[in-house]
Amino acid sequence: MKGSGELANVSRRRWLKTLLGFGTGLVMHPAKFLAWAADMTPASDESTLTVRVSRPFEAETPVRAFTSFLTPNDHFFVRSHFGPPSAETVGESQWTLHVGGAVERSNQLTMETLKQFEPMTITAVLQCSGNGRAYHRPKVPRVQWERGAVGNAQWTGVRLRDVLQAAGVRAEARHVMFQGADRPVVATVPLFVRSIPLEKALHPDTLLAYEMNGRPLPLLHGAPLRVITPGWMAESCIKWLTHIELREDEASGYFMQTAYRVPVKSEQKDTGRTDNATAPVEVMPVKSLISSPEDGQAVMAGGVRIKGVAWAGETRIAKVEVSIDEGNTWQRAQLAGDDRLYAWRQWEFLWQAMVQGTFAIVCRATDERGHVQPAVTSWNPSGFLWNGWDRVTIRVHPS
Amino acid sequence: MNTSHVIGGVIPIGLLVFSAVMASSQEDPESVSAMLDPRGERLIIARCAVCHSADLITQQRLSRTRWQATIDKMKHWGAEISDQEADLLIGYLSARFPPNAPANVPPLSHEIGKGEPLKQEPQAPSPVIGVAARGAGVFEHNCQACHGRGAMGGMGPRLAKNPILKLDVLFRETVLYGRGPMPAWSSVLSERDIADVHEWLLTR
Repeated sequence: MKGSGELANVSRRRWLKTLLGFGTGLVMHPAKFLAWAADMTPASDESTLTVRVSRPFEAETPVRAFTSFLTPNDHFFVRSHFGPPSAETVGESQWTLHVGGAVERSNQLTMETLKQFEPMTITAVLQCSGNGRAYHRPKVPRVQWERGAVGNAQWTGVRLRDVLQAAGVRAEARHVMFQGADRPVVATVPLFVRSIPLEKALHPDTLLAYEMNGRPLPLLHGAPLRVITPGWMAESCIKWLTHIELREDEASGYFMQTAYRVPVKSEQKDTGRTDNATAPVEVMPVKSLISSPEDGQAVMAGGVRIKGVAWAGETRIAKVEVSIDEGNTWQRAQLAGDDRLYAWRQWEFLWQAMVQGTFAIVCRATDERGHVQPAVTSWNPSGFLWNGWDRVTIRVHPS
Repeated sequence: MNTSHVIGGVIPIGLLVFSAVMASSQEDPESVSAMLDPRGERLIIARCAVCHSADLITQQRLSRTRWQATIDKMKHWGAEISDQEADLLIGYLSARFPPNAPANVPPLSHEIGKGEPLKQEPQAPSPVIGVAARGAGVFEHNCQACHGRGAMGGMGPRLAKNPILKLDVLFRETVLYGRGPMPAWSSVLSERDIADVHEWLLTR
């Protein structure tokens, strides 16, 4: 029994690696993939991802991985509504990108023709809107993400602007709608269709990416092509992209008009209702995380190096502060490493732990526009945009 | 099957579940019995796990109102849940996974036992003769989501002309107890339903 269990674990790990692009991610048969996906057990490989849902596969990154500036592809969080499409559908021989709607010339591009546009690489944080949902009170339905549905990667592709301009943007176009090749199990479930305003689509930093951290985009991360809207929450970064349509209005349908929206003004707690005006989730609010030490870790008294990351959507991080007394007093951390718009900023703080005992370490970031990470994020019906102070509890032992 | 082992496993869970109900004082006695009704768990496997694994459900901690809203949403999206089943599910879910439930309510599979018969029916004295015409409807409502229209395959394997159709016993056991990613259907499909689906599949 033990032997077969180990074997299953090894196979699972291999399966995950294959999907994450370490093997030949695009040759796996879809039915076989789904069988494997269904068989995934939570947290089967603690060293890489924490599985929240085994089918469709949804997993977050243990925050200790965030001591690295770039999040490796096999450590990057995975989230979709229906799981990836069949590998055949998005294989290079079959896949095409349709560009239509309010354009002068509808267009159909192969990967080869797409790559004739000027390539561009950008480092950007991707974060699920529901990251931190587990901390909202009252509790909100949907995947209970904690801290790790976020990552920082290098995305290579072409500018969406170039592709749109080649098709000729007509004057009435105001929104750009995206659709991927993923499909729900049951045909009555709405397709995952989203749109972004034309302004963001024409921004020179908005990409159609085919590489992630210098490797071909893995299937779980949207192969062969995904949208990257730097600074915005990841539901705009449509994976397995096959259709772009320019429109006068926002995309219709559940995932644009009902889901991924937040109340503009007040909230109605735990009624499941959003009668008030809502707006689509877009820019990521300022947020920071502690990546080291880990929650629950024991350290020796003396100098304790506290490390983390901070990011702020379309602006930069101005400062990160650390508190050892639940936010009564704050001390400024040192910003470190690369400073790039849209990427996260690493930070460090040397804490002199003189007394033994248990301590909560809390951090908060402030962005260049003066927004400060709040102690607790205001509640909203879908539990989006959590950016409350991050916290780890550590034990200090005598040295 | 070792009977003492089964009893040993079931009773503590029953107690656990019962004390959990007692702890959540806002629930009325009706929902206590609803929660203890094992059909709630079986329905989750049969009706919800078609599209997503049960771990998505067991991580939620919601009020009855929100469970109700969630079930309504899923029905609206095409989940094959009758009104009676919806009541049962809402009762079960809101009693077992209320906002104040502990973080570590054991996963359903621990109690259900993966692939284990959920409801042992006595062996039919003579095999049930299936009726293909009726089987088409049973298939459409229960199997089509995964096995595709006309049993031509989808998320699950193609069943039309599948060799398993020639192995009556294996086919029946797979439906009853599940296999790999396929959930057990013993709580939802009767021996007659299974025989009818089998008969219909032979015509495909």
